[in-house]
Amino acid sequence: MSKLKPGEISMGTTIMAVEFDGGVVLGADSRTSSGPYIVNRVTDKLTMVNENIYCCRSGSAADTQAVADIVRYQLDQYTAQHGEPPTVKVAASLFQEICYQNRSQLMAGIIIAGWDKREGGSVYDIPLGGSLHREPFSLGGSGSTYVYGYCDKTFRRGMSKEECIEFVKNTVSLAMTRDGSSGGVVRLAVITKDGVERHIIPGNQLPEQYTG
Amino acid sequence: MLAQAEHQQQSAAGFKFDNVKRNQLLTGKGFKQSTATKTGTTIVGLIYKDGVVLGADTRATADTIVADKNCEKIHYLAPNMYCCGAGTAADTEFTTNMVSSQIALHSLNTGREARVATAMTMLKHHLFRHQGYIGAALVLGGYDITGPHLYSIAPHGSTDKLPFVTMGSGSLAAMSMFESRWRPNMSRDEAVELVKDAIEAGIFNDLGSGSNVDICILTQGNVEYVRGYSRPNERVEKEQSYRFPRGTTEFYVTKTTETATAMDTSA
Amino acid sequence: MEYNGSAIVAMVGKNCVAIAADKRLGQQALTVDMDFEKVFPMTDRTYIGLSGLATDVKTVHDTLRMRVNLYKHREERVIEPRTMAHMVSHMLYERRFGPYYIEPIIAGLDKNQKPFICGTDLIGCPNFPSDFVVTGTAGSNLFGMCESLWEPDLEADDLFETISQALLNAVDRDAVSGWGAVVHVITPEGVITREIKNRMD
Repeated sequence: MSKLKPGEISMGTTIMAVEFDGGVVLGADSRTSSGPYIVNRVTDKLTMVNENIYCCRSGSAADTQAVADIVRYQLDQYTAQHGEPPTVKVAASLFQEICYQNRSQLMAGIIIAGWDKREGGSVYDIPLGGSLHREPFSLGGSGSTYVYGYCDKTFRRGMSKEECIEFVKNTVSLAMTRDGSSGGVVRLAVITKDGVERHIIPGNQLPEQYTG
Repeated sequence: MLAQAEHQQQSAAGFKFDNVKRNQLLTGKGFKQSTATKTGTTIVGLIYKDGVVLGADTRATADTIVADKNCEKIHYLAPNMYCCGAGTAADTEFTTNMVSSQIALHSLNTGREARVATAMTMLKHHLFRHQGYIGAALVLGGYDITGPHLYSIAPHGSTDKLPFVTMGSGSLAAMSMFESRWRPNMSRDEAVELVKDAIEAGIFNDLGSGSNVDICILTQGNVEYVRGYSRPNERVEKEQSYRFPRGTTEFYVTKTTETATAMDTSA
Repeated sequence: MEYNGSAIVAMVGKNCVAIAADKRLGQQALTVDMDFEKVFPMTDRTYIGLSGLATDVKTVHDTLRMRVNLYKHREERVIEPRTMAHMVSHMLYERRFGPYYIEPIIAGLDKNQKPFICGTDLIGCPNFPSDFVVTGTAGSNLFGMCESLWEPDLEADDLFETISQALLNAVDRDAVSGWGAVVHVITPEGVITREIKNRMD
């Protein structure tokens, strides 16, 4: 597996996505750093790849942007050829193909989430080696290690949309305070059959928590 | 004969690697390679009310030597786009030149003015394909049919779209100016003043940056490129001259070539 | 660079340019040749100085000579110094990841008799200053000399003195360059080539 090249810009990152009945909620912090320097404090790591499918990017900024660009192009072509939008599973498989085939050169951990007619909301995770997993919720990036416990304790199957939003908001902001490579604002995307809603929670409006 | 010689000269597209093995051998034997010119550099860009302002310092360095005191770091890309370059000087120069010609062909083919996003994509593809080995860090600014745009492009091919960006070794000094003074919808004068101050912060606080401030203002259908917008490091006039009297240097004339006729090349 | 040793400098004067170089070829501390050519005439009024690894000085000079000749045949005109600078620059950048170990400088008069000088690094980054360019192991010494000695609008004879003194005093403090020197002063009337007297140690 590849390491970050010298001077490469990375997204230290906390990213996550949760499934609920009828859709998904995606969340991410907004920090992009090069060593100790924050290159971009308002990054949007939630990237649209098709109408109702988004991905959360973590790892090398260059690698994940390139992969997302390729998949977006392939999905556009899929839509044109099939006359209907692809399922989230199709998108996830395309991501996996690229991530697995180039696993020795890429530094990319990607979560794919979205809504489609067949499955409703679904979340797929592709960690560093290029394997593909469907999960009810998924965490990624350096910040995720700090909050797995919180998620395992808090997550319940069958949460409502609002409960999921709160869950994501809390998880990401907890990770942001403990992980030095994550920070900035919390960005959210809620995808249902009706489309995508985007939310931004600025740093001074994050949920209350112990800060020492 | 000529055609044959020309054919041999036609190289395959891309880089040549025929010296690589030899150079590895030489380096292995302790041969010291000289350092390529870098632009230590402070480069910045910001979006204001009616357009984009780009700024750059003018120092080029080879290790600790100042290789060029007044170089041009704001490169032309298209009539509506300019691009500041930091990093390995040759890489910024050739990368922007190549993309500039690609864009020229693209707009000839489409019959339209190219968009800034198109240039950004070309640049990021080229840099990503070479996996960071092309050491060009760029600030791309332009004004197209969709309005003003500003991108930063890192050597590995990642891009950020932001209302204000800084790059190069002086980026931290310049960013401190932007973070404290930038606000949305600035006027042209405020924007230019802030860019000048950001570059000067780099010139005075970063050793890799120096000399003058170059500025480029891009608005709808108009570009204003000002070389030496600010010159805070003018050299003090010499009080006396070191001119040597003729005959100081002992020499013997070996050859004088007349070029009176050869100069006429109009035929 | 340090393997063979060299010192080359070019300066702009009033309607003229000068290019000067030392003549030593060494193998590290051992001097092999005291009449090694490093500055080559490419056209009647464009000269190129090549510092660095001697084998590459030869190779690049030969390749460039061929390209300049091909240019003359194809275009039916003599190459301009600025065009040649870009030719050299592209030749070097083509080998970006396996470079020739040379740093060239180009000096000449263009078709309007306007002085032109240019230097590039080993991977072809061009640099067009308005005063002087230097290259070689004595490069930093030459920078110091030129910064203090050079002044604008020197006549051909004054330019000769300035460039000669800059070179002589620079190579005196560089162990691997020197051993004779040559100065070319390019004027609209012609090129004056002078061998200058130099310490031989």
